[in-house]
Amino acid sequence: MLKQLIAGMAATVALAFAAVAKPVNDQPAPSFSGVTITGEVINLSDFRGQPVVLEWTNHECPYVRKHYGSGNMQKTQRALTEAGAVWVSIISSAPGEQGYVNAAEAQRLTAERGVYADHVVLDPEGLIGRAYEAKTTPHMFLIDKEGVLKYQGAIDDKPSANPRSLEGATNHVLAAWAEFADGKQISMAQTKPYGCSVKYAE
Amino acid sequence: MTNPFASVAKGLASAIFALLALCMTMVGGQAHALDLGKVDTSHSSASLHSEYQVLGAGELHWLGLRIEPRDGWHSYWKNYGDSGAAPLFYWTLPEGVTVGEPLYPTPHRMPIGPLMNYGYEAPSVLLLPLRIDETFSGGTIDFSVDVEWLVCEIECVPQDASWSGQLSVGNMQVSEPASAFFAAARNALPELPIWSASLSVYDAQSRLKVFLDQDEAPNLAEAYFFPAGEGITEYAAEQQWSLTDEGLFVDMKRTVGGLEAESGEGVLLLTFADDTYRAVEIDAELQIQQPIADAASQSGMPLIEAALPLWQAVIFALLGGMVLNLMPCVFPVLSLKAFSFISANAKTSSERRQEGWAYTLGIWISFMVIVAVLLIIKSGGAAIGWGFQLQEPAFVGSLVLLMVLVALSLSGMFNISVGVESAGQGLATQSGNKGAFFQGVLAALVATPCTAPLMAPAIGFALTQSAPVVFLVFSLLAFGLALPLLALSYSTTLARMMPRPGPWMEKLKEALAFPMYLTAAWLLYVFNLQAGATATLALLVGVIAAIFGVWVWQSFSGQISRFIAVALMVGALAGIIYQPFGGQGASQTQTSGEMQAYSEQNLAALLADEETVFAYFTAEWCITCKVNEQVALFTDDTQALFADRGIVMLKGDWTNRNAEIASLLADYGRAGVPLYLLFPKGSSEAVVLPEILTPGIIRDAVEQNT
Repeated sequence: MLKQLIAGMAATVALAFAAVAKPVNDQPAPSFSGVTITGEVINLSDFRGQPVVLEWTNHECPYVRKHYGSGNMQKTQRALTEAGAVWVSIISSAPGEQGYVNAAEAQRLTAERGVYADHVVLDPEGLIGRAYEAKTTPHMFLIDKEGVLKYQGAIDDKPSANPRSLEGATNHVLAAWAEFADGKQISMAQTKPYGCSVKYAE
Repeated sequence: MTNPFASVAKGLASAIFALLALCMTMVGGQAHALDLGKVDTSHSSASLHSEYQVLGAGELHWLGLRIEPRDGWHSYWKNYGDSGAAPLFYWTLPEGVTVGEPLYPTPHRMPIGPLMNYGYEAPSVLLLPLRIDETFSGGTIDFSVDVEWLVCEIECVPQDASWSGQLSVGNMQVSEPASAFFAAARNALPELPIWSASLSVYDAQSRLKVFLDQDEAPNLAEAYFFPAGEGITEYAAEQQWSLTDEGLFVDMKRTVGGLEAESGEGVLLLTFADDTYRAVEIDAELQIQQPIADAASQSGMPLIEAALPLWQAVIFALLGGMVLNLMPCVFPVLSLKAFSFISANAKTSSERRQEGWAYTLGIWISFMVIVAVLLIIKSGGAAIGWGFQLQEPAFVGSLVLLMVLVALSLSGMFNISVGVESAGQGLATQSGNKGAFFQGVLAALVATPCTAPLMAPAIGFALTQSAPVVFLVFSLLAFGLALPLLALSYSTTLARMMPRPGPWMEKLKEALAFPMYLTAAWLLYVFNLQAGATATLALLVGVIAAIFGVWVWQSFSGQISRFIAVALMVGALAGIIYQPFGGQGASQTQTSGEMQAYSEQNLAALLADEETVFAYFTAEWCITCKVNEQVALFTDDTQALFADRGIVMLKGDWTNRNAEIASLLADYGRAGVPLYLLFPKGSSEAVVLPEILTPGIIRDAVEQNT
């Protein structure tokens, strides 16, 4: 309880900063802190020096299921974490809403689905989600090692919940990463996210 | 939760059943309502229809897909808004047959928490154009289509169904039973574009202008624009509309730095007082407006237009630093430095060089300190930019004190080591170096709020890079600033050209005090804007106390008086930094010379002085106000016109409650902003300008009334 209280306060402070920084590419990404499913408190600034990927998720959303059921999301996670990125999955579903899980359930889901995320953050108040204006699950963000936002948008270019749409789809995150890792300007740095709405608390 | 796969399987089964039924009717040659089959999926049902019983080669035909979500559930428009998905079609068709993009009925708004979706809570019919080439020679078309659509209540469930079958081709024949279905479907579509329109996209707002006459939309209760493309509006934000002589305007809030606008298409929904509505397609001319350059009020850092290569940023920084020497804010300090050159003749060449490097070092160290502080604050997530320290009144106040003391020293009241006071006398190298270093610091401090050409892209680039790159770029900027005078310090020719020292130098030194006083005056003005009149008074008292302290120090030599002097100076500085009387700034930074804040008194005084006054009432949250200001008010033309006619602008900011402004709005029969009033010379009767401004409206009003 105390831990949650502290994290809540930390998140509120983070939000105060985040209110200043909006999620705009090539500008500092909104800072945040949150509690992970293992009870750890993480800050975006902890990862300074490493690129960070943020993924909004909701295990019951069919669009998320397409990417996890097919292994596409895990494949993307593995490729990027092995290349040195820190992958943070964020669950902003409010209690009672679709996709809301407690830490134990989230741990079980993570193990069951063979997730490669470094951290899974629970954001039931939607503070981080609102700071990043996360709209859908999935909704992806790539932040460089200086904390500057580089990509935001969809995971790929096929706004479908059907796994067969993965064939021939262009994975925007992998494409952005490839250019980013080469030190090039990301050609598709912003795309329209698709999927279920993030189930925010009212 | 229902397993969607089971429902899909069920859907498929019913589709196959429907198809069998269809084939049977075809075989029977008794094709009636060309119902191509209905599919029940888990959370909706869908049916496919053809308008023609027999299709014709070389013709365009229509198919209709009716989607009926479960009660309380909804499907989506082609632009789903913040979340969702538009239906997807995967056709398999013979050569020479194509199906184009569907036509969608007028969408509804469906707010969900902080998000907004566009779609249909009721059954909707999408019309699909099917075109057959003239060269098509077959008697039937074998088609199959997989359709995926999304329905959501709060949770979302994708729906999936397939249809396949045969369509006859021959002498075209309408399916009579289908005609009512297609008539209703066409009725639900928005009308084709009948009005021309333009869509101007600014940084944080968009404005749709539709050229319609007021009598074309009598009793209009609401106008709403559904953009078909991205980058036009923040879907959940309220839209503001006004109907004027010039047409209908719809103003929308836009995400700064969001997706780029690419299309001016969409649907305009007009709702009337009697709850009837009219939906019309809009194909507006898209006009992407460059953000108006307003460096003073933009505290954010400049965006990088393209990836600037490092070498280019470095060159820009160096050149920018050199150009900075010519900017007005650095000039007074440079005159100090120039003065020390006049004494060059009295020094050896190695002394001159040492001073040149001390000056460079002073600039460089100051820049590094400023950049380090900037990076630390920025790492906390705050959006601050170059010159941030001048947004801090305590810093500006301290700088005022410093400038006054330096100026007084030059005037000869006392000596502090600024490197010129001993000019013409036997100059100790060390104090010369110290002075040069100090001049460097001073130059860096006053230079930071200035931006010279080429600097902005370099700084913009640097601030998004890693710390070593930031320090490299800023080091070059510092070096560029120091370079001209450093180079001169190596020139023996220049040193020889300098006249012999003499009493005239004392006069010149005193004269140089005046640019410093002016710098102090400018800083005082900045401080006044930031901290208000009371704080300015406190600052002046502090400055005078500090001067008094210096005087005490010089006039009396006892321990006690020394102590009093130091206490006075420390107290003055502390007072300036802590600002016990610091308050609200007098006004926003966006204050051009001719603009004042509105108050009844202010207005009355101006009118009594026979001034022509343009009073405008605005608020931070008023999108229309902001668009008007960008489009019409703060354009170069309008400002030039105002300057030309000597018009004084009064700004009434209604962002926060303000009784005076509220009563004035009430006087003009308004409940809110915007309100634009032009008071002709000395007249208390104002001309009221429309709520939507164009440069033309302002120009006409000004020309008729001045």
